[in-house]
Amino acid sequence: MAPRDPPPPTPTATPGPAEQPALPARAETVVIGGGVIGLAIAWNLARLGKSDIVILERSYLAAGASGRNGGGIRQQWSTELNIRLMQESVALVKRFTADLGINVWLRQGGYLFLARTDTERGFLEQNAALQQRCGVGTRVLTPAEANEIVPELDVSGFAAAAYNPSDGILFPWPFLWGYADGAVKLGARLHCFTDVTAIDRPPANDAAGDFTVHTSRGAIRAHRVINAAGAWSPEIARLVGVELPDRPVRHEILSTEPLKPFLRPMVSVLGTGLYFSQSMRGEIVGGVSIHGDRHTLAMGSRLKFLTTMARALCELVPQFGEVQVLRQWAGPYDVTVDGNPILGEPPGLPRFYLCCGFMGHGFMMAPVIGKYYGEWLAGGKPHEIFDKWTLARFASGQLAKETFIIG
Amino acid sequence: MIDRRLQPSLRFSGNGPGALAGPGPGDGPGAAGQPGAPEAGTRGRLLARGEAVTLDLEGDPVPAFRGETVAVALFASGARALSRSLKYHRPRSFFCLAGHCGACLMRIDGRPNVKACQTPCSDGLRVASQNAWPSAEHDAFGVVDWLFPRGMDHHHMFTGSRAMNAVLRKVTRQMSGLGRLPDPRPGNVRPETPPLRRLAGASAPDVLVVGAGPAGLAAATAAARAGARVLGIDDGAVPGGSLLADPGHGLAAAASSVREARAAGAEVRAASPMIGYFPEDGGGLAAIRTPDALWLVQPRTTIYATGGYDQNALFEDNDRPGVISGRAAGRLLVRFGVRPARRAVVAGDAPYAAALAAELAAAGITVTRTPRVQRAHGRAWVSAATLADGSRVTCDLIAVCETPAPASEPARQHGCAVTLQPARGGFCIDTDAAGLTSLPGVFACGDVTGYQGPDAAALDGARVGAAAAAAASAARAREAATP
Amino acid sequence: MSGKVIVCRCEDVTLHDVEHTLARGYRDIEEVKRYTGFGTGPCQGKECLRVVACLLAERTGVAPSAIAPFTTRPPIASVPLRLLAGPGAEDLTSARDDDATDEDHGMAG
Repeated sequence: MAPRDPPPPTPTATPGPAEQPALPARAETVVIGGGVIGLAIAWNLARLGKSDIVILERSYLAAGASGRNGGGIRQQWSTELNIRLMQESVALVKRFTADLGINVWLRQGGYLFLARTDTERGFLEQNAALQQRCGVGTRVLTPAEANEIVPELDVSGFAAAAYNPSDGILFPWPFLWGYADGAVKLGARLHCFTDVTAIDRPPANDAAGDFTVHTSRGAIRAHRVINAAGAWSPEIARLVGVELPDRPVRHEILSTEPLKPFLRPMVSVLGTGLYFSQSMRGEIVGGVSIHGDRHTLAMGSRLKFLTTMARALCELVPQFGEVQVLRQWAGPYDVTVDGNPILGEPPGLPRFYLCCGFMGHGFMMAPVIGKYYGEWLAGGKPHEIFDKWTLARFASGQLAKETFIIG
Repeated sequence: MIDRRLQPSLRFSGNGPGALAGPGPGDGPGAAGQPGAPEAGTRGRLLARGEAVTLDLEGDPVPAFRGETVAVALFASGARALSRSLKYHRPRSFFCLAGHCGACLMRIDGRPNVKACQTPCSDGLRVASQNAWPSAEHDAFGVVDWLFPRGMDHHHMFTGSRAMNAVLRKVTRQMSGLGRLPDPRPGNVRPETPPLRRLAGASAPDVLVVGAGPAGLAAATAAARAGARVLGIDDGAVPGGSLLADPGHGLAAAASSVREARAAGAEVRAASPMIGYFPEDGGGLAAIRTPDALWLVQPRTTIYATGGYDQNALFEDNDRPGVISGRAAGRLLVRFGVRPARRAVVAGDAPYAAALAAELAAAGITVTRTPRVQRAHGRAWVSAATLADGSRVTCDLIAVCETPAPASEPARQHGCAVTLQPARGGFCIDTDAAGLTSLPGVFACGDVTGYQGPDAAALDGARVGAAAAAAASAARAREAATP
Repeated sequence: MSGKVIVCRCEDVTLHDVEHTLARGYRDIEEVKRYTGFGTGPCQGKECLRVVACLLAERTGVAPSAIAPFTTRPPIASVPLRLLAGPGAEDLTSARDDDATDEDHGMAG
């Protein structure tokens, strides 16, 4: 390693609340939500020449779920569509630093899923076979083989495990900065600390007319609006009279003191929603499901989570008993009933695009979703996801169940 | 491995007639250390040392006494750099000696990242350095510090070349972390998980006082005298807070304040930090970590009297071992009876600086005062300082006397409003004239509302303790009236 | 040692790092925390929050009273997992309603 100064300051980062420039009067595209999904779409659109974009973020970048997740990225899914999408997303993440000039600290240490029951083992075997057909190197392991990958695990009581070595973890925040800087360099404008308060539909007598998006800092007209507000997307949709079926669910997470590297994969236990990995800084970072939670946008931290998580960790890794918790926080999952997102235009409202309902997995899906969304809106052929993952499917009952959901 | 310079003990001999017992467990008078009259400068506030014990420092025996903490015993025995820092492998030793700063993390009893300044000494206790090879004083990885002389933007490092980037990620992963995973229990059995303890309903305290320094102890006393059932907790191994760092007070004042609070009927527990207030759990619970269990408490009213955190000043190599907070120097002197230096620089003009400088001088230490230091010199321990006027003085200690930062974390996490007031130390809890915060039933007093020093904090505490007791009494009456 | 001015001892964040982050345009204390890592180590900001908040006020011209601290996250003092794992926590969160989401979850939890 050679000493070298960091690069010169760029003007693209987000100014604080006090020094925001005024909103422009109009933009071709207004993206609501400066999370990883909205920023990924914005960068892809800008990359394809459609750079007249304004991104509206209510807080600072990384304030929502994009800045609060565990940073996992995996290709172990239960439907071919998700497996193939996530294979492509992993490939895009591997290029991210080269494309956008910022480190995201991808570490492909694998994902190790543990199953307690024969039913769960069957689930892993069936999915591993599908994943292998798609070219993912998932293997179903005995508990003893799982112990070879993570010797600290107490695998008594487990029936099987599934391991794909090319899954991994990354560091979430630089994704947002990378996409944001990349989009802004290409001409997009990012306005943080800007809250959307109302949206006027295009005038009834003007089929090609603009939306007007009202914000805490003034109004802006837009040819198209993209609702990428994550767990807040139903609130945004309601502003144009659209009722969305996705709901926010609080998920909590904790981080321990930094430890010397010992844990290679992300470890997850089926049925409990427990997952944990070791971050690039050495902390154990993970979460667990708290069953019985109602839908909420509350993001307070609870003792119930701390105790549930501590018990799950101490049972699975006895050596964790003396490991100290440094902090806990919460973030909202954006949940749909079939485990798949909601994309495209709602019936009767052209040029209002949905991109939400990512089930807590939006982070790992953002690179590929952003790519296909950008290509479509820039004039390309729509990918099959825009036919499958529509809002209309919830009314018609044509659901596409994805069951490989953590938490 | 930790290098030690063999030298005469830095402990004052003074376990004689003027010595005082500590006010908490582990500080009781035990076998004499080095009997004799107290030395000049100790003014009778010297701790009566507990029984002699021996630490196991990476296989080397280190003499220590019960009542001392590991960081103090190692310092008194000549150990200097204790570990190395996370990123640049800079040498680390204690800074605040109060369990707040994270500078003295070591591997103790097979557990990583333990605060050496808060760990009581016991016979055979295993102590080791972290993140250093071959030793904390001479660490080969210290080269990283020179590769990045001013700092690093790790987000934009080596992004131009895929091959270099892959190497960067590999090296970063290998160098990451601080301590190693805790030692496995024999046979890899599950850890002991004691039941959670509950103080709610009929057993709930009327007033929970968080912090047992001058403000908290005065508040606990006043509230208990007003008839309230009071639980006082403190994160230190011994209650007393800033009294234990202040030459004008010391162990004697701390012990007498604790006795007074207990005599009034308050329960006072040391080594019991509050880890958080959880409004959604069990109707709202304060969680308190004691050494052997987690306690969940539902008080009628809460008083935050958490004092202040010692703060460093900004100067070159301000993290060098031997740069310690002024109040840490005070703790060495008046709580532990350890001579902190031969030649000390007292930097800064916080209100307590003059008294500290005088006390150090009275203990036979050559003292240089300066408004601020420009640079610390030395390797694993400070050997000189460049002062504000550019002159350079030889020293083996820089005592930084900054205004402490209000320890408003627990109150902030609870939801109390704060305001950044740089002149008063940092984020001060907003209170009204009665000490009430922005939340009903939640009070604050002392340095956590803005630095005021131990005497003013005690007066504030007495006033707010009485107000909290009255509020608790009103709450009790409302409960009784509600069927 | 190389003459660094250390702002956050736990994470080895320097004054230069904070200034560089401000120069890049990150002005909110939550952003400075995330970009530099200050306040995320074993002390959780007890030694560095004040100094960074004051630097922000000084360098950006924002009034100190307009600067909020970054969100304080529990646990305020670190806790070993085993002390949290014992029995007695079963009744901690009792909030349930008909809108519960258990059935929304897939096989993996």
